[in-house]
Amino acid sequence: MENFLFGKLSLKALPHHWYTIGATVTIAIMALAIAIILTKTKRWRWLWKEWLTSTDPKKIGTMYMIFASVMFFRGILDAGMLWLQQSIAADSQGYLTATHFQEIFTSHGDIMVFFVTMGFFFGLMNWIIPLQIGARDLAFPFLNSLGFWLTVAGGGLINLFFIIGGHFANTGWLAIVPLSELEFNPDAGVDYLIWSLQLSGLGSLLAGINFIVTIIKKRAPGMTLMKMPLFVWTSLCAMVLIISAFPVLTATTFLLWLDRFLDFRIFTTGFGGNQMMYFNLIWMWGHPEVYILVLPSFGMFSEIVATFSQRKVFGYTSMVCAAIAITLLSFMVWLHHFYTMGSGADVNSFFAIMTLLIAIPSGVQVFNWILTMYHGKVIFASPMYWFVGFLSIFMVGGMAGVLLATPPIDFQVHNSLFLVAHFHTMIVGVALFGIFAGVTYWFPKIWGFTLDERLDKRAFWFWLIGFYVSFIPLYLLGFLGAPRRLDHYAASTGWQPFYIFASVGFVIILCGIATQVFLIIVSIKKRKRNLDTTGDPWNGRTLEWSTASPPSFYNYAVIPSVTSRDEFWHMKNSRRKPQKKHYEDIVLPKNTGMGIYISAFAFVVGFSLVWHILWLAALGSIGVIACVIILSFDEEMEYELTAAQIERMETSKARG
Amino acid sequence: MLTHPKGIVARSELELIAAILFHLLIIIVPTFVLLFVTLGRTQSKHSKYDPETSHGVLGGWMLWTIPAVVVVSMSFITWHATHKLDPYRPLQSEMKPLAIQVVALDWKWLFIYPEQGIAAVNFVQFPAGRPIHFLLSADGSPMNSFWIPQLSGQIYSMTGMTTSLHLMADGPGKYTGRAAEINGEGYADMTFVAQSTSPSDFEDWVAAVKQSPLQLTETVYKELVKPSINHPTLFYSSVENDLFNKIVMKYMHPMATLWKISCLEN
Repeated sequence: MENFLFGKLSLKALPHHWYTIGATVTIAIMALAIAIILTKTKRWRWLWKEWLTSTDPKKIGTMYMIFASVMFFRGILDAGMLWLQQSIAADSQGYLTATHFQEIFTSHGDIMVFFVTMGFFFGLMNWIIPLQIGARDLAFPFLNSLGFWLTVAGGGLINLFFIIGGHFANTGWLAIVPLSELEFNPDAGVDYLIWSLQLSGLGSLLAGINFIVTIIKKRAPGMTLMKMPLFVWTSLCAMVLIISAFPVLTATTFLLWLDRFLDFRIFTTGFGGNQMMYFNLIWMWGHPEVYILVLPSFGMFSEIVATFSQRKVFGYTSMVCAAIAITLLSFMVWLHHFYTMGSGADVNSFFAIMTLLIAIPSGVQVFNWILTMYHGKVIFASPMYWFVGFLSIFMVGGMAGVLLATPPIDFQVHNSLFLVAHFHTMIVGVALFGIFAGVTYWFPKIWGFTLDERLDKRAFWFWLIGFYVSFIPLYLLGFLGAPRRLDHYAASTGWQPFYIFASVGFVIILCGIATQVFLIIVSIKKRKRNLDTTGDPWNGRTLEWSTASPPSFYNYAVIPSVTSRDEFWHMKNSRRKPQKKHYEDIVLPKNTGMGIYISAFAFVVGFSLVWHILWLAALGSIGVIACVIILSFDEEMEYELTAAQIERMETSKARG
Repeated sequence: MLTHPKGIVARSELELIAAILFHLLIIIVPTFVLLFVTLGRTQSKHSKYDPETSHGVLGGWMLWTIPAVVVVSMSFITWHATHKLDPYRPLQSEMKPLAIQVVALDWKWLFIYPEQGIAAVNFVQFPAGRPIHFLLSADGSPMNSFWIPQLSGQIYSMTGMTTSLHLMADGPGKYTGRAAEINGEGYADMTFVAQSTSPSDFEDWVAAVKQSPLQLTETVYKELVKPSINHPTLFYSSVENDLFNKIVMKYMHPMATLWKISCLEN
């Protein structure tokens, strides 16, 4: 009976380690503080009506970013704990046990990839893509809200183990088998990982579908595919990757869960289980995932370099071809993550050459970016700092990538810190720098004031120097034969100075993060000084800059018609007569709490399946289904804004 | 460490790194120069400003051809090197390779010498200048990677499967080997000593091990399999008959397949 009611859950699952108690108390204090502030300022209603239930992509985008930032602090805390342990654990156990250390790098990886990087990208895409293609909203506003809240549910689940369970997976971020099987990991940690990825993966999939349909169907009249801004192009490519690759992740982790819950023997060591199959499947998703993380960055940098060089991108068609080539190739290289499994020389060579091919479109992009600057009149605003920093890092990371792609070299540097340094180069130097550049660039569009240039540049220098100081030692350590994920090592290896040096880099990065927090606060305080009254603070080229900053909730009173690439640039330069404004009635989505309700039920399902509480899982599933049925009877999900109302709002805005 | 190779395989791998790096620098160095020239140029007032230029057809071809040429060239090298340095491929030598079977256990390495009929835990010795053929598997342990950086790259050792690695040491020496894939609590301490000696010293060592009181019978092995961290170095004077194949085949049941057996014989 107890088993039926509580599954595997028992009092032992309550926090009893220093770190779980610490985390639980921290979470409780934070929740309490937020609740008190909201109650004192009487903001509960406002929060619910204006934000949580919103279907406005600009608001959902902002929520994505706040969520990603919160997760970022968690991920950085993990990183700090890892650096500290490795700096002191020469010939000693350091301050963490082996298992705890392994749990930390697992959660660090999952959080940074699924919730931070992807969260920021979805945020930026929500902010900008509808504006860039001249649309008022995404194709499926409710799905957008649901996708966001499912991601939040996944993020909640990955942190819940602090409070209930006390253990996370110690398997590495991909939950590699057979280590993640019941035999080696009987605790609930791996199940937390699985269900967190199931929920957030579903959220990403919905967002991916939504953005593809939006980009294909909702472009302004005249904007053919080859007139789309490059950020829209690379986002489209990334979303195609998402809808092709994420179902693989969902299926794979679900099979793993069947192994753990129903004693299937799909990936186990015995009884016909096939461990290598898991590696194939997880990397068939995992490699495209890498490009899901960097492609949107490529697009953002293309926008930024064009704007601040005050000219068009040098080779637009080449850039589009490069993005598509990367998209296609990324599905043909997954085996390079395990050459060392002994697939044989022919198979390894094939995947090696496929991987090398990716260097071609990447090189084309780099040439194009540099030549855009070469022929332009460059203004070094802070997004350009991030851009140049990214270029230097990208070339270093690309070289390391080609080395890793060569199988005999991979045999020597695989599973070493060289590999760790390489993918951090790509995710920090490309994805994260892209996010920082993109946020700086588009912040005024959404908030109506620019960020403080001086502080942003200072943050950039901290990040750039911190990056090199932390990751160059890791490249060297890899060459010295240091494997990754070591919780301690012999002092005789001589690795300790490198680890300590790298930790110094981490401290410099921390200064960068502190500067960024300060930057946000200062910019908000001094917003009056940095107000963007024109809607076009950078002399931009694409449609989003033709709207006011911040744009109205309906984005465009009149949908623009497009005749060229860089439409807004040509509009400004040709002194074309502004289109005569002919207002029409528009239909907009109503706010809805359904996304929250469904995600809350999904969260309950995830939680109860982690602990094998079947009745609760059944209840949660019924809740989800009931919500969907209720939703399907709601025929008033939209409301109409009449032409007269729009005209009134537009004229009152024009008068100020 | 791979920067100080002591064997033909590791040395070839280091040379390959140099060759690939050379190719990369051919393209990266000019790109960095172009980047710095561009950055310098943007500071000068006299630079030309063409807001509308594009590369045109010829420029477009150039843009794609330059990296493509380098990549094609690297692809040839990669294809050749991958086949030459395939860990399954026997090394060229007049001497017959010495066979050593490796079993990854939680969290220690068992080395079995099928010809000599001896075994050792966390220690492996072999004659320098003679090719060594490691045949690897694991027993119930999560996925492992077997790596002696100074002698050759790594290869996975997996339960119920066998993999191969050929290497050869230049001269006598002592090297650290280790597990390189995360496999649980004892991962960091799953190291072993690999020692290469002169052929006569190796014979002496085999004779000495033959005197060891320990024997690796099935019962002893069952104890050994149990998880342990920092397991002491042990030497066994005899080994249960056909132990390695039994370990591998154990996991074939109830689905024993002829295919796997034929793999073992190769």
